[in-house]
Amino acid sequence: MSHDLYREQLLDHYHNPANYGVLEPADVDIEMDNPTCGDRIHLTARLDSEGHIAAVMFEGQGCVVSMAAASMLTEALVGKAPEEVNRMGLEDVEEMMGGVKLSMGRVKCAMLSLNATKQGLRDAGKLA
Amino acid sequence: MPLDVPAIRSQFPIFQREINGKRLVYLDSAASAQKPQVVIDAMVEVWSHSYANVHRGLYSLAEEATLAYEGARAKFARFINATDVGEIIHVRNATEGINLVAYSWGEEHIHEGDRIVITELEHHANLVPWQQLAKRKGAELAYIPVTDDGSLDLTVLPDLLEEGRTKVVACSVMSNVLGTLPPVSEIAAMAHAAGALVVMDGAQAAPHMPLDVQTLGADFMAFSGHKLCGPGVGVLWGRRELLESMPPFLYGGDMIVTVKRDDSKWNVLPHKFEAGTPPIAEVVGLGAAIDYLTAIGISNIQQHERRIIPYAMARLREIPEIRVLGPAPSERGAVVSFIMDGVHPHDIASVLDEEGICVRAGHHCAQPIHDRFCVPASARASFYIYNDEEDVDALVAALRKTVSLFARRQSTPR
Ligand SMILES: Cc1ncc(COP(=O)(O)O)c(C=O)c1O
Repeated sequence: MSHDLYREQLLDHYHNPANYGVLEPADVDIEMDNPTCGDRIHLTARLDSEGHIAAVMFEGQGCVVSMAAASMLTEALVGKAPEEVNRMGLEDVEEMMGGVKLSMGRVKCAMLSLNATKQGLRDAGKLA
Repeated sequence: MPLDVPAIRSQFPIFQREINGKRLVYLDSAASAQKPQVVIDAMVEVWSHSYANVHRGLYSLAEEATLAYEGARAKFARFINATDVGEIIHVRNATEGINLVAYSWGEEHIHEGDRIVITELEHHANLVPWQQLAKRKGAELAYIPVTDDGSLDLTVLPDLLEEGRTKVVACSVMSNVLGTLPPVSEIAAMAHAAGALVVMDGAQAAPHMPLDVQTLGADFMAFSGHKLCGPGVGVLWGRRELLESMPPFLYGGDMIVTVKRDDSKWNVLPHKFEAGTPPIAEVVGLGAAIDYLTAIGISNIQQHERRIIPYAMARLREIPEIRVLGPAPSERGAVVSFIMDGVHPHDIASVLDEEGICVRAGHHCAQPIHDRFCVPASARASFYIYNDEEDVDALVAALRKTVSLFARRQSTPR
């Protein structure tokens, strides 16, 4: 699987992440970490007048999988309703990452940013 | 006597397989060691020919099983130079052994205001049980700090021991992250002079160096069979008078002599601490593993590693992006943890996996020592009897590949 994992597309997102930084002001503002591996993410998002995601930014530290997933997610989430985000799962993340098949040990790295988004939306009262 | 590594490798069936089309280079024995055929055979033999429950049956098969099971206990005693087999308690692993002490001894002897001393380099197995005991009792948990070069700063110990509040000092004989070999005998002598007991975590040390409970000065010592090329069982050794005075840890069958409706009497040592049916074949398997390692010679293993470690560290130093954590080669056991500039340890492990190389990445169940060195995680290569310079070379080549894969390319900003 790793050949897949370290192909150009993901490495490129790792080295040149999209939407890196902090949105101010933001409707969603959350920090989350993966204590077992030290991945850490700070994710901020703004919603539009219909409550859909208008913009997402992140900053953090971690492995290629967690950082590339976060970078790609900031692009993929725009326009989605909170409930849509909430329905997203591992398969969506794998597909978003170009169809990689993640090994068991890397799933939590890949899911960090999505889990953070969901938790952030919940904390902000945007999700039941 | 130098080890014949190719011959040793051929005794481990796992080295016949490939990983991702590459020769298996197993550099994670500090997490768990591979198993030689003799150990696998010993367990299959129990299950195929001599299996019954132990200590109960009156038929010959049960007697055979009991003899094999108790015979292994005698091997464990000899392995750590314990003179009394009643002091050898079979547990699941080192973690359970330390928990047994923290609960059974700790619940009775640790009181509010007492102090428990551990070190900054402990594995969670020798940290969390003491931390939680301290919390339950309102006791203080104090840490012997680690210096920048990865050794223990013992200058604080006299102060920590001075007022007589310290009831126990728990220390690893070898760090699973830094490879540090703390001066445990010296620590034990100081602790005993202050009236404190000494618990040694021998999980990482047992596979790599002779452990003699008589000369080390431990009151308790725990280790795990799976790091000794054996299966998933462990051993707790403790001084008889202490074990005698302690309440049982788990209650049930085998650990009693009589049970009445309202009260029970405990069995003699070691059975008092072995409630329920034990992992019989596994205990016998660990006996076979200890025979196997003893035949190779623990001192020979130690000499072998004293050759590999300096070689590995010198070769890793050739890669400027790599920083090795911990002490000089002469001051450490067979583990080398490192970080690479700009590359997360997970990614190192994944790229190495492509090359058939198994290394650990993460905090290796020792978060505080990573915090101490201000790194969230590290990659760790650890070495054992089936590793040689060729494995180190494979590691270094794969790490170079990792460096170049991650070399930041000039790409257009997104
Ligand atoms: C120093 C040290 N102590 C304790 C343990 C715990 O061993 P086990 O998981 O077998 O209980 C380990 C294993 O990783 C270790 O390296």
